[in-house]
Amino acid sequence: MGIPESVRVEPGSFRDPANRVFHAGAEVLRALDETAAADWRALAGTEFFPALMAAGRICRTEQVEPGGPLPESGRPWAAVLRHERIPFVAHPYEWSFSMLRDAALLHLEILRAALPAGFTTKDGSAYNLQWRGADPVFIDVGSFTPVRDGEPWAGYRQFCQTLLYPLLLQAHLGLDFQPLLRARVDGIEPEQMRRIFGGTRRLLPGVPTHVHLHGAMQRRNSGATTADVRSQLRAAGYSRELALATVRGLEKLVRRLDHRPGASHWADYQRTCGYTGQDRAAKEQFVATAVTGEPELVLDLGANDGRYARLAARHARYVVAVEQDPAVVDELYRALRAEREQRILPLVMDLADPSPGGGWRGVERAGFTPRAARADVTLALALVHHLAIGRNVPLPEVVDCLAGWCAPGGRLVVEFVDPADPMAARLLANKPDGLFPDYHRERFERLLAERGRVERRLELPSGTRTLYQVVVGG
Amino acid sequence: MHLAYLDAGSGSLIVQAVVGGVAGAAVAAKLYWRRLVARFRRQPTDHG
Ligand SMILES: C[S@@+](CC[C@H](N)C(=O)[O-])C[C@H]1O[C@@H](n2cnc3c(N)ncnc32)[C@H](O)[C@@H]1O
Repeated sequence: MGIPESVRVEPGSFRDPANRVFHAGAEVLRALDETAAADWRALAGTEFFPALMAAGRICRTEQVEPGGPLPESGRPWAAVLRHERIPFVAHPYEWSFSMLRDAALLHLEILRAALPAGFTTKDGSAYNLQWRGADPVFIDVGSFTPVRDGEPWAGYRQFCQTLLYPLLLQAHLGLDFQPLLRARVDGIEPEQMRRIFGGTRRLLPGVPTHVHLHGAMQRRNSGATTADVRSQLRAAGYSRELALATVRGLEKLVRRLDHRPGASHWADYQRTCGYTGQDRAAKEQFVATAVTGEPELVLDLGANDGRYARLAARHARYVVAVEQDPAVVDELYRALRAEREQRILPLVMDLADPSPGGGWRGVERAGFTPRAARADVTLALALVHHLAIGRNVPLPEVVDCLAGWCAPGGRLVVEFVDPADPMAARLLANKPDGLFPDYHRERFERLLAERGRVERRLELPSGTRTLYQVVVGG
Repeated sequence: MHLAYLDAGSGSLIVQAVVGGVAGAAVAAKLYWRRLVARFRRQPTDHG
């Protein structure tokens, strides 16, 4: 194969110096040093690894001949792997509860398969997992390493901080974990969890051991090096069977954790939205026409139950359904997962506060805009009034933002809800009269025309909603 | 020799023995017992 000339190092892959992910054109490659290359060869020769890869649990990976420049040219790279491309990278703080739970279970499943074969993973981070639609996939192939007998899992702490603790908070206390994970790239520390789970809460499943005991052990052993502790544990007879038992115990605990939120405001939207049957049919027809031509990536913003995301998925390669309400996203995810849908990715995000860049220098975890700005089609259906009225975002800003999430020449499919519409009126009723003099259809149409070419326009039969299809920059 | 790039956390390693059922607790107890014994053995030389 020929690697194209320019390579771009993946800013999220520097933590383990033994390997480095980089992009060459559309390809996702991983350079391995001598040790990592030896690990890879051993891994490829096992039974469990190819089996998990064939089952889709681990991202498809093959060794290739390095045919072009490698990243950080001074490093002694010994081999190059090529990975399957994940259609849209999503961070754990953009997942719903059930997504985080399924991701945690997959990580444990992989570890449970690896240990008997003499392998473990170097880490246990939620960032080891990604999605093909509603299907979790383990992406950190560089994380596999031969297990040394007598050693517990090095990734346990990370697993707790980025997977188990967020799940405990949501399942036991109903606390949304997303803001916490977004704020701290390394997740939630035992010390913080200990304070939240005081009193009788300390008896909740998983809490006495993985939170309190874990925290106490950390405090008491803060002076001991991990090298010393490892050899002490080995001398005391820690075995691979014990490591497996721990993984099984974690699996059992995570399976027990459940979170079914009470009905949220948006959960029943499709029944209460006030569309007439005629409006809905016309809207669906309009959207269906707008997503033809096999677009690579469609964004459905304010996706609610995913009605239009599903419609788009009939034509598009991949659809990202963004919705602010975690309960609604969780419902959608569970439905998609049950259907084994691999082309619709549901995400939790407030579009008035989209994910910023995070981690080292703010680029280790890419923000939403740089990931999204290549959409071939962006759907913003019954969303604009929520941003413009509900969140006071000036209308030109809303249009700029939506247009900015389209690739140049991409299509924006947007619905404008007139101030006279009952739904818009409800939002307006919460604000002082006359606060939004610019929120009207003529102004909106002018703004669209300034940013692109309006190809199609349809007023819905009820008369208070209009749909537009705009070629951005066209 | 494989060097772990991640600081696994000393306490996070030990607690995994403790959560590993009866057998795990036995390993943890043994570890602590050995530490205790080692401390007593060291003491005379410390003072001498
Ligand atoms: C009126 S519904 C429209 C649902 C669907 N797009 C349709 O046209 O039938 C608006 C949806 O947008 C979501 N929404 C509102 N404000 C949002 C925001 N700032 N970020 C993300 N989603 C938002 C709501 O939670 C709700 O599910």
